[in-house]
Amino acid sequence: MSIILIGMNHKTAPLHIRERLSISCEEDSGRTLNEIKKISQVHEVMYLATCNRVEVLANMEDVEGSAEKLKAIILSHGNLSHEEMKECLYIYRDDDAMRHLFRVASSLDSMVMGEPQILGQVKAAYRYSVEQKASGIILNKLLHHAFRVAKRVRTETGIANNAVSVSFAAVELAKKIFGYLHGKTVLLVGAGEMSELAAKHLMNNGVSKIIFANRTYENAVRLANDFHGVAVSFDLLVEKLREVDIIISSTGASGYVITEEMVIEALRRRKNRLIFIIDIAVPRDVAPTVEEIDNVYLYNIDNLQEIVDENLRSRMGEAEKAETIIAEEIVNFASWLNTLKVVPAIVSLRKKAEDIIEGELEKSMSWMRSLNEEEKEKIKILASSIVNKILHDPITSLKDESQNSGADPYVAAIMKLFRLEEEK
Amino acid sequence: MNILFFKLALIAYFLSTIGYVTSILVKRVLVAKTSTWILFSAFIIHTIYIVFRWMETGYSPVINLYESLSFIAWAISGSYLAFQTKTKTRILGSFVSPVAFLLMVEASASGGLVGDVSMPAILKGWLVPVHTMLSLTGEALFALACLSGIMYLIQDSFLKKKKSYSFSRLLPPLRDLDRINHICILWGFPLLTLGVIAGSIWARTVWGSHWQWDPKQVWTMISWLLYAFLLHQRLAIGWKGKKAAVLSILAFAILLFAVAGVSILFVTVHNFI
Repeated sequence: MSIILIGMNHKTAPLHIRERLSISCEEDSGRTLNEIKKISQVHEVMYLATCNRVEVLANMEDVEGSAEKLKAIILSHGNLSHEEMKECLYIYRDDDAMRHLFRVASSLDSMVMGEPQILGQVKAAYRYSVEQKASGIILNKLLHHAFRVAKRVRTETGIANNAVSVSFAAVELAKKIFGYLHGKTVLLVGAGEMSELAAKHLMNNGVSKIIFANRTYENAVRLANDFHGVAVSFDLLVEKLREVDIIISSTGASGYVITEEMVIEALRRRKNRLIFIIDIAVPRDVAPTVEEIDNVYLYNIDNLQEIVDENLRSRMGEAEKAETIIAEEIVNFASWLNTLKVVPAIVSLRKKAEDIIEGELEKSMSWMRSLNEEEKEKIKILASSIVNKILHDPITSLKDESQNSGADPYVAAIMKLFRLEEEK
Repeated sequence: MNILFFKLALIAYFLSTIGYVTSILVKRVLVAKTSTWILFSAFIIHTIYIVFRWMETGYSPVINLYESLSFIAWAISGSYLAFQTKTKTRILGSFVSPVAFLLMVEASASGGLVGDVSMPAILKGWLVPVHTMLSLTGEALFALACLSGIMYLIQDSFLKKKKSYSFSRLLPPLRDLDRINHICILWGFPLLTLGVIAGSIWARTVWGSHWQWDPKQVWTMISWLLYAFLLHQRLAIGWKGKKAAVLSILAFAILLFAVAGVSILFVTVHNFI
C-alpha cells in the first residue's frame, strides 16, 4: 500500500498540453474517477484538474505495472502521444507525494506563489472524491492534514501577504490610507483594462460609488452602465475632485490631466480629507509635483510595479520557511501512516482477547448465579484488566516498532503466535 | 497590602509590553490579542491599587510625583483600552504598553512606594484632587494623541516613499490614526482646561492670586495655547493628517517639559513634596 501522485503542472507541461488534458478531464471527471477506481490495485483516489495542473492522488498497491495503468488512463484522456506526455508527467511516491500535495495545497507550487484559490480547488476535488466514495481512511486523513498544513503556512509565513498584482496593490494601499473602503468614492478618469480591473477590486472591497469621466462622454456612460456607476462629462473633473477619495487615471492625453493647482484647490474645498491618486497612464496624467502635497498620495504605474516586484521577492523568502513547515508535517503524517501498518494486527489481537473473556464469562455463568450484580461486575472488570495488562506491553512495542519501519516481522509473528486472521 | 497590587500591576504592564513587542516580531495577531488582555488585567489591578491607596491614606492618590506618574500610566492604559474596543488599532498598544510600564518603573523609582507621605496642610480640600486628576487625565489623552501622531508620521512617510515595508502592514490606516489623534485632543482639551481652572481657584485661596507667572504655569499655558490653536485649525479650517500630527507632537513635548522638566530646571512654586 503506497501513496502515489501522478500529474503535470505549469512547470512541466506547455499550455497546449495542459489545456487538452484538463478540458477533456474536467468534462467528466466523474468518469475519470470511476475508471481509476476500477484499477484493482487502487484503494482510494482523488482527481484534481485546474487550468494550471492535473493531479491524480491515489492510495494503491504499488506493484509492477500498476502505476503504468494509472498513467494510461490519464494519457487516454488528452488523446496525447506517449512521447509528448512522457516529458510532462511526474510521478511521486510516499513522502515525495505527500510533499507535493502539501506544496500544492499551500500554494507553493502555484504559478503566482501564495495565491489563495488553489486551496479551494483542492478542497473541491477532495469533496468530489468523498461524494463518489473514492476516498477512504488514508486519503481522508492525508487531505485533512494537507488543509492543516496550508493553514499553518498561511498563518505562520508571510507567503500570502502583500499584493502581487498591480490592481491588488492599489487596493492594499487604499486600505492603508482609509482603513475601511465602505462609503468611499472612486473616480475613474479615462478607460483601460487595468483601471477597470482596479475599480472592480475596489468595489469588491467595499467602495460604494464609482464616477466615470471620459473625453468621449458615451464611453463614460457605457462604463457607468457596466459598473452601476455615474458618468460625468470631462469638464466636471475639477468639480468631482472635491468629493472623491480615490482617483484612477488612465487617459491617452499627452499633457497633464490633473495639475498641482487643481489638487490644492480641491483639498482646500474638501477640508483636507485624504486623496489617493493612482496614475496608470503613460505618459503620465497627473503632474508629479502633486505627490509633494500633504494628505495626497500619488502612485504611478512604476511605483505600483515596484511594490509588486518587492512583494514577490519577499514571498520567495517566505517560501523557505514554508518548506520547513512542510518537512515537519511530512514526518508527522508518515508517523501516523506507519502506525496504521500495525493497527489491523492490534485490532485483531484485542478482538481475540475480548472474545476469550466473553466466552469464559459465559461458561462461568452457572456458578456465578449465586453472586449479586455488583460482584459479577467486579469479576468482569478483573478479567478484562488482567488481559489488558498482559496485552499492554506487546501493543506498545508494536507501535514503537512501527516508527522504525521494522514492524513487519513483529506483525507476522503476532499473527502467527496468536493465530489471528488479518481483517480486510 | 496595596503595594502588592502596585507590584502586580507593574509586572502585568511588563508582560503586556513583552507580549506586544513579540507580536510585532512574530507578526501573530493572537499574541497581540493576548497582550491586550494582559494590559486589561494590568489596568484592573492598577485600578484596585488606586482605590485601596485612596482608602488607606484618606486622600486622593495623586499628590506626589510617584502617585502622579502611576495615575498617568493608569489613565493612558484606560483610554487606549477604550479605543481598542472601538477601532482596529491594536498596534497602538505596543506604543502605549511600554509607556505605561516605564511610567510605573519611574513611579516606583521615585521613592513614594513605601507607605505614608506626610500631607502638607495646604493640599487638603477637594480642589487639589480635582485639579490633579483632571489635568493628569487630560495629559494622558494628549500623550495618546502624541503617540498616534507619531504613528501617523511613520505610516505617512512609508506611503510617501512608495516602498513595500512589512512594518507598514502592522500600523493602522492613516484615517484611524488621525481620528484617534483628533478625539484625544477633543476630550483632553476640556479636561486640562477644567483642571487648570480648578488649580487657579485653589491658588487664589492659598496664594491670593489666580496666576503666579510660575515657570510651570507658563509652559503649561504655552502648550495649552498650542492645543487650542490645533483644535481651532481642525474644527474651523479643517486641518487633517500630517500638520495636525506634527503640532500635536510638538504641543505634547512642551507639555511634557512643563510637567516633568520644569521642576528640574527652574524654581517653581508648584513643587510640594
